[in-house]
Amino acid sequence: MRHYSTAYPLSWRIFDAVEALAKRVWPARFAPWLPYLLLLPALLVTGLLVIGLIEIADSSLHVLDKATFRSSESYSLENFERALTASLFRNIGLRSFLGAILVTAVTLVLAFPYAYVLVRTESPILRKLLLIVLFLPFFIGQVVRAYGWLIILGNEGILNTSLSFLGIGPFRLLFNYWAVLFGLVQTMIPFAVLMLAPALTAIPKETERAAESLGANWIRTFQYVVIPLARPGMVGAAIVVFTLTLTDFAIPAVLGGGSNDFIANAIYDQFFRTSDAGLGSALTLLLIIAGSAAVGVALLLVGIGTLGLAGHDDD
Amino acid sequence: MGEAVTTSATRTDAVRNIAVSVRRVSMAYPAVLAVDDVSFELAKGSFLTILGPSGSGKTTLLQMIAGFQAPTSGEIVIAGQPVQSVPAYQRSIGMVFQRLALFPHLTVAENVAFPLRMRRFDARTIPGRVERYLDLVRLPGLGNRRIQQLSGGQQQRVAIARALVFEPDLLLLDEPLASLDRKLREEMQLEFRRIQRELSVTTINVTHDQREALIMSDEIIVMDRGRIQQMDRPQRTYRQPANRFVAGFIGLTAFLPVEVRSVREGVARLRIGGAELQGTVAGDDTLLPGGAAEAALRAEQVRVATTGAGLRNLDTVLEGRVEDVIFEGERIVYEVLVDGFNEHRVRAFDHDPALHAEYPIGAHVFVGWNVRDLLVFPA
Repeated sequence: MRHYSTAYPLSWRIFDAVEALAKRVWPARFAPWLPYLLLLPALLVTGLLVIGLIEIADSSLHVLDKATFRSSESYSLENFERALTASLFRNIGLRSFLGAILVTAVTLVLAFPYAYVLVRTESPILRKLLLIVLFLPFFIGQVVRAYGWLIILGNEGILNTSLSFLGIGPFRLLFNYWAVLFGLVQTMIPFAVLMLAPALTAIPKETERAAESLGANWIRTFQYVVIPLARPGMVGAAIVVFTLTLTDFAIPAVLGGGSNDFIANAIYDQFFRTSDAGLGSALTLLLIIAGSAAVGVALLLVGIGTLGLAGHDDD
Repeated sequence: MGEAVTTSATRTDAVRNIAVSVRRVSMAYPAVLAVDDVSFELAKGSFLTILGPSGSGKTTLLQMIAGFQAPTSGEIVIAGQPVQSVPAYQRSIGMVFQRLALFPHLTVAENVAFPLRMRRFDARTIPGRVERYLDLVRLPGLGNRRIQQLSGGQQQRVAIARALVFEPDLLLLDEPLASLDRKLREEMQLEFRRIQRELSVTTINVTHDQREALIMSDEIIVMDRGRIQQMDRPQRTYRQPANRFVAGFIGLTAFLPVEVRSVREGVARLRIGGAELQGTVAGDDTLLPGGAAEAALRAEQVRVATTGAGLRNLDTVLEGRVEDVIFEGERIVYEVLVDGFNEHRVRAFDHDPALHAEYPIGAHVFVGWNVRDLLVFPA
């Protein structure tokens, strides 16, 4: 016969004590408010950032006084005017937006089959392998990964050295727009796959078989059944990839070599190189507004419910 | 495989009005032989049910006919055409799936029109045809509804219309009724049957529900462990099961261990405990006198009465005691311990619920049955 006094592990008794304490602090009649209470920590953490944003908004309205190297006391919209009219910033903005659109499109096209095979394969070994390859880059970190591309794509890099044996090259593969886009696509594929996989998992295999038995070959099954049903995941993946790309810093910095800056690089320069916090803040706010507007327009076009967050209202 | 063989087989099928022939088909997985050398033929317009427990290979067989899996060996011929090199989307087969697999992003009419568009039917004829088939499944005017707005039974009907609208050579039903509640399931069984007769489309239904098989089918194949145990009309499958498995799978059957005394003209004299019995030798099995055997007796073929006189018209009448009473509403199942049967019980249905009476546990009763219903299988 066991002694029941010793049968409950310590962790159970600790939780019992915590529960008893919680009951005193938060009586049962407050129970309906509990979800809101649990929401509070996340709201606080996110909310702290709002304070920073207000600070940034304030500093964006003060011009840097070149003589004293301090922000001027008076309010003006001069920073925004510079950010919007200077050809340097206009080029950077266009480059970032165009890059984000291209990277989003290419990433989705490449990630979709990856996610599909990941979800549908019957071989557990292949699935594990695909997952490992997917998560490996996360462990390496963005800067190291970008540096890895330098080793491979540099003028003295592995690729050019190999090509020289064939008597070709060397080619200038780095420090141009395409290198930056390439690096970004490579960075974004795991995010897109992770967003697409649950959406594809939600499509029963039987539904695809049904399409097939009704006369659709695999291309038409994809076109008329899989892709329309995967739309929530695709919209989610597109938004994540688009915003991450638009605001990316490391890949344009390393693979662009300073000649192909994105908005985040320009903001960094203003804050930490020229110390023009006002102009940096203005660029930051413009980036937030333009990015939010782009996502908002996309959501309006495809319907907010497509993210799959609105329950069953939309489907 | 010679070209000539296939051609002659094709011609024979057409002449003999065969819609589907499955010839020596096997499906081997690394660990199991899911389908083991199965052959059968199905006449045009008939309704076949493949009945079996889970893991019997019935679903695998259906998947191979549909073209979702390729048999390891053997040949499947549909409408005179060997189909091993024909992909699923080019086979003329309509299928209703277990979870229906309707397209949630399309309306009812778009779902039904889907196979017509994929098969490039004349676009002008599509709306009329969709309407006709929605009428057929008794959903007139619901074309613009979304799938989620329909009840379970209505979704079943859409799935049927979608599978039939392109007039396939063959309709496959992959246990589509399994998830319905009993009332709706029985309604849909009759509905499937009505539609199938109306279009006289050759149909293969897969189920583990013996009642469904008996109600719906012209022919029943009973499968177990990858092999066909019996292929017969429902009445014969029920009354003359080919082996112990079929006898046990269909009906509420009690098995009694017996010793064979002698066999003459298909009738076996048996001994169980201290009692003597007569039974019918089932199938082509041979029984050796002195050997052990099993006698199968279905509850519904056994009568219960308080006096032996009430069972006068039955061949075998014995006395016993009610051991258990299971009240099922429309019928009552009695477990009766027959005198001299040792501990082996006989199950009997009460066939007259109109009397509102039941024998209590411990009651002394008579049980009776006919010799043709006590089937003897080798142990």
